[in-house]
Amino acid sequence: MRETYGKLLPGMSLSDLGGKLIVIEGTDGVGRTTQINQLKPWLEEQGHAVLDTGMTRSPLTGEGIRRAKEGNNLGRVTQTLFYATDFFDRLENEIVPALRAGFIVLTDRYVYSLMARATVRGVDPEWVRSVFSVALKPDAVFYLRLGIEQLVPRVVFSRGFDYWESGMDLYPGYDMYDSFCAYQAALLAEFDRFSEEFKFETLNASAAPQSVFSHLKIKILRLLAMDPPAPLAAMLASRAHAPAAREARVPCAAGKGAGAIDFDWTKGPTAARPGHSNGNTHGPVEDV
Amino acid sequence: MSFQFTKCGWLSWEGNRMGITPGMRLGPFEVLGPIPRAASRPPKRAQNGFPGRLFVVEGIDGSGKSTQLSLLHKWLESKGYGVVFSQWNSSPLVKDTTKLGKKKKLLTPATFSLIHATDFADRTERRILPLLKAGGVVLCDRYTYTAFARDVARGMDRQWVRELYGFAVQPTVAFYFRVPLETAIGRLLDGRDGFKFYEAGMDLDLSDDPEESFRLFQGRIIEEYEKMIPEFGLTVIDATLPIETQQTRIRQIVESHLVKAAGLRIWP
Repeated sequence: MRETYGKLLPGMSLSDLGGKLIVIEGTDGVGRTTQINQLKPWLEEQGHAVLDTGMTRSPLTGEGIRRAKEGNNLGRVTQTLFYATDFFDRLENEIVPALRAGFIVLTDRYVYSLMARATVRGVDPEWVRSVFSVALKPDAVFYLRLGIEQLVPRVVFSRGFDYWESGMDLYPGYDMYDSFCAYQAALLAEFDRFSEEFKFETLNASAAPQSVFSHLKIKILRLLAMDPPAPLAAMLASRAHAPAAREARVPCAAGKGAGAIDFDWTKGPTAARPGHSNGNTHGPVEDV
Repeated sequence: MSFQFTKCGWLSWEGNRMGITPGMRLGPFEVLGPIPRAASRPPKRAQNGFPGRLFVVEGIDGSGKSTQLSLLHKWLESKGYGVVFSQWNSSPLVKDTTKLGKKKKLLTPATFSLIHATDFADRTERRILPLLKAGGVVLCDRYTYTAFARDVARGMDRQWVRELYGFAVQPTVAFYFRVPLETAIGRLLDGRDGFKFYEAGMDLDLSDDPEESFRLFQGRIIEEYEKMIPEFGLTVIDATLPIETQQTRIRQIVESHLVKAAGLRIWP
């Protein structure tokens, strides 16, 4: 029986969601899209119906988010909720119907990316978890992990720096490069924390795309409880499915502390206290 | 020794030495008194930690809350307060998406709830919060209680919706305009023909007839509001009373919260 992270959306029955929900997670530029573009035809070849989906692809909010990101005035709570709207629109109108019909759903990012982005921006983690508590638990989360020093050249020499991917809204005084490093390192630290909490399967994304693809194929076949075809089985035996080695923590990975701002509106920006409770401390208002 | 100013310009402090005093005429100039000094102490902060004050109105469509709020707005401005008004569903970043969702009927109870929360978050982050910090009087036509009532009437989890709005600032006073359903329907049907799809809760398949659906849906909303009166300490206004009577009562309550906040006035 499928589960959510706590609460249930109205009208959503969990009993007949037969398909598989597979999540590909990772920071910007680790090659998630490349992998999904290969996985989809491969799974279809095996006879599975596949739905692929990803952030901001909802017909409801896709355009709205794109326009909001063009400006310089998208606040952190607003941003979190706008993306949450996009996510739940796709969850209810794409993901759940596809699972009910027995599809394999491949999703490029899931609630974890949204939670990480909000948390590094200093939004109260308890609040973020509460918002996403109505999300479905996936069957597997494959976390493509890449250290910051490998990430930078990939991004710089493929598409260049993007304002939001560099977290420029968080570090307005930095240049794009410094901001990118600080922001992505904070995201990476958050993902590493999540990988234990939400049982991610970590893959070393610094390997060649074909090698990452092979690892993914093996893991997915295992998930689908099928025997791997001969060439893959041979590879499996030779490599003994060594889990991707974790690179050493990046020195500049400052985690949530990097520029994170406390959620309590009344106090103005202060350093975040890890594990602090609900930031909504406003009691009923009366004049003093 | 002080600077003096006249109706037509400034006079330096040297005027004093020359025996120029307020009330004298100097050619075309009339010498006025010294410049009134700005309030030396900042206004006392409300318990939510902000120097400003936040007043919100709540109630079903047709309860007359917007009329009352606009009368309050004009009165506060005439008293010299810096007043800002923020309406439900009015964020420039988000409202087009909400409009699209409503027009194309794309919204489910969950996305209806979230898109309104997004709109509210944008107005909170960019308008309500900074203005309260700056010591303004902020007036909101509908606030979080609207979402609590509507979203729960649509079947969303009561606790989840309350947590969703955990970032909202508590209002100084939240007025709830209590009105019998029939009175509200009468007022609404006088002004226009028919109800809109989501306003009548047509997405919930309560009834094929919009008026019947509106009745059932708004009935649920009223139930939710009634439960929130003790939960959040809403101030109930009998919305069947004459407009003037309601307004007098509202002004009394608002004034009692502004007495210690004289510094909020932008002119004396």
